[in-house]
Amino acid sequence: MRITIENLSYTYDRRGRGRFDETIEVNALQGVSCTIESGDFVGIMGQTGCGKTTLIQLIAGLLTPTAGRICLDGQDINDRSYDRNVLRQAIGVVFQYPEQQLFAATVENDVAFGLKYSGLSANAIDERVKWALETMGFDFSKVRKQSPLALSGGEKRRVAIAGVLAVQPKIIIFDEPIAGLDPYGRQDFLELVAKLNDNGTTIIMISHNMNALAKYTKHLLVLEDGRLIMAGETRAVFLSLNNDLQVRGIRRAITEPQHVAALIAKHRKCQCQDSFRDDVVTYDDLISALKGYLLGVGGGGSA
Amino acid sequence: MRWLPAGRYVVGNSLLHRLDARAKIICLLFLLAIVIGTASVGSYVLALSAIGMIILLSQLPLRHVFGNVGRLWLFLGTIFLMNALFFDSENALCSWWIFHLSISGIKQGFSLVVNVLLVIILSNVLTLTTSPNEITTALESLIKPLRLLGVPTEDVAMIISVAIQFIPTLMEETEAIKMAQIARGARFESKKLRERALSFMPLVVPIFLSAFRRADELSLAMEARGYRNATNRTKRKKEPFVWQDYMALSACGALCLIQFLVLR
Repeated sequence: MRITIENLSYTYDRRGRGRFDETIEVNALQGVSCTIESGDFVGIMGQTGCGKTTLIQLIAGLLTPTAGRICLDGQDINDRSYDRNVLRQAIGVVFQYPEQQLFAATVENDVAFGLKYSGLSANAIDERVKWALETMGFDFSKVRKQSPLALSGGEKRRVAIAGVLAVQPKIIIFDEPIAGLDPYGRQDFLELVAKLNDNGTTIIMISHNMNALAKYTKHLLVLEDGRLIMAGETRAVFLSLNNDLQVRGIRRAITEPQHVAALIAKHRKCQCQDSFRDDVVTYDDLISALKGYLLGVGGGGSA
Repeated sequence: MRWLPAGRYVVGNSLLHRLDARAKIICLLFLLAIVIGTASVGSYVLALSAIGMIILLSQLPLRHVFGNVGRLWLFLGTIFLMNALFFDSENALCSWWIFHLSISGIKQGFSLVVNVLLVIILSNVLTLTTSPNEITTALESLIKPLRLLGVPTEDVAMIISVAIQFIPTLMEETEAIKMAQIARGARFESKKLRERALSFMPLVVPIFLSAFRRADELSLAMEARGYRNATNRTKRKKEPFVWQDYMALSACGALCLIQFLVLR
């Protein structure tokens, strides 16, 4: 399913902050336009409070835009004739700290919650629940009758994500899914998301982890103060962000390999006026650049 | 934030805003006594003019002062009718079955409705001009004498102020969880009562859990920062009464005396 966002704005009133309940209008999003193709893996980055979460809530149809349109396969999701059920089945959302939304008495029931209105038979629902829990790395027979609240923090999060996977939405939105995970948990999770994406699910992921965004996403949206300041292919966006930081001196978030490459380039410039490779984005890039650099230095040591 | 009840604190700098909360609470008690003690026309004039004066001094817009009284029409209407129809069966204007409409009943019902309205308006003015924090601190010092009876007054005050401070947090959390459950396909708009009640489970359970978790975390954090028991705590800010506070207290006290000694 293709998501088209046209000139999207969202303004909310912050009430009662001033004297006598004056309302203050806050522009959370202003004039955002972009297209997300089916099967894409899109990262959303930007500082806290820049409107990332508002954007995904709008895409999921949980907020109504102040202006602009969001279309799924050409149909406006905020159109009165649009069936909300279709939207809920098509788009799954994993919010920040999804473990907080668990409520059912057993893991099985919690995961099956989203399938209540799917029209599937009881057997089919069981199959889905089993599949979702096994995808999230659980032993289905062992965990199905347990209380989700008795699990550890990481397990709870995986159960909550299984609850979203079980619906098998065509688009899954993750709001900072790897915040608070340990390094291996983070890697396992990202590999799983990449696998879902390989199987054709469109992924939209908000993250502050630049390395993860650089490694896994295909396209990037960069938000700043509610505006979309950059959008495009991930590598191109990171190179452009790097250019902003290194050349124009604008504060931009870049990946660690980019920082390292910039340091080497700076150091090298002083010595021999020959800059380091300037297209490093991921660790793989950095390693290959370093190989070339070290061999070059070793080969022409006397130069 | 949209479903906060009416009568919440409105930032301002009027005389009423600046008065000490303790003085305001005692004044409120005096004024409530004045309202309840109304018996003659003169006493109503006194009560109404005192309250009008207070509203003027508070510089609050009237729609805030009257706030939610409109929603009480059923309650007030019932009070009025009960009095009008049952108060006096001897001198009834007209009678039907068990109902006896009487002049004295109408008078009684009307004065009760006015009294209830005035009580609501007075307490609205207090909460509109005093922040919840100020009110709890004031209550803490006003209920101090109960300590002699073994009531842990400081703990009570601490519990109240913590509870008040968590209202916005819990409301934000409720919004977030509600959104998450809607995204998972929850429906909160079902018509049937039973279904409707059940549909709130996905909301109620996580909110309770998070409230308990927060309570746990907060108590650990308080202990980690050295909170033992409230009894021996000292105040960072000591604010003695100033002349305006004494003025307000003596004005209200004097009105109260006039009401009960002269106009009754």
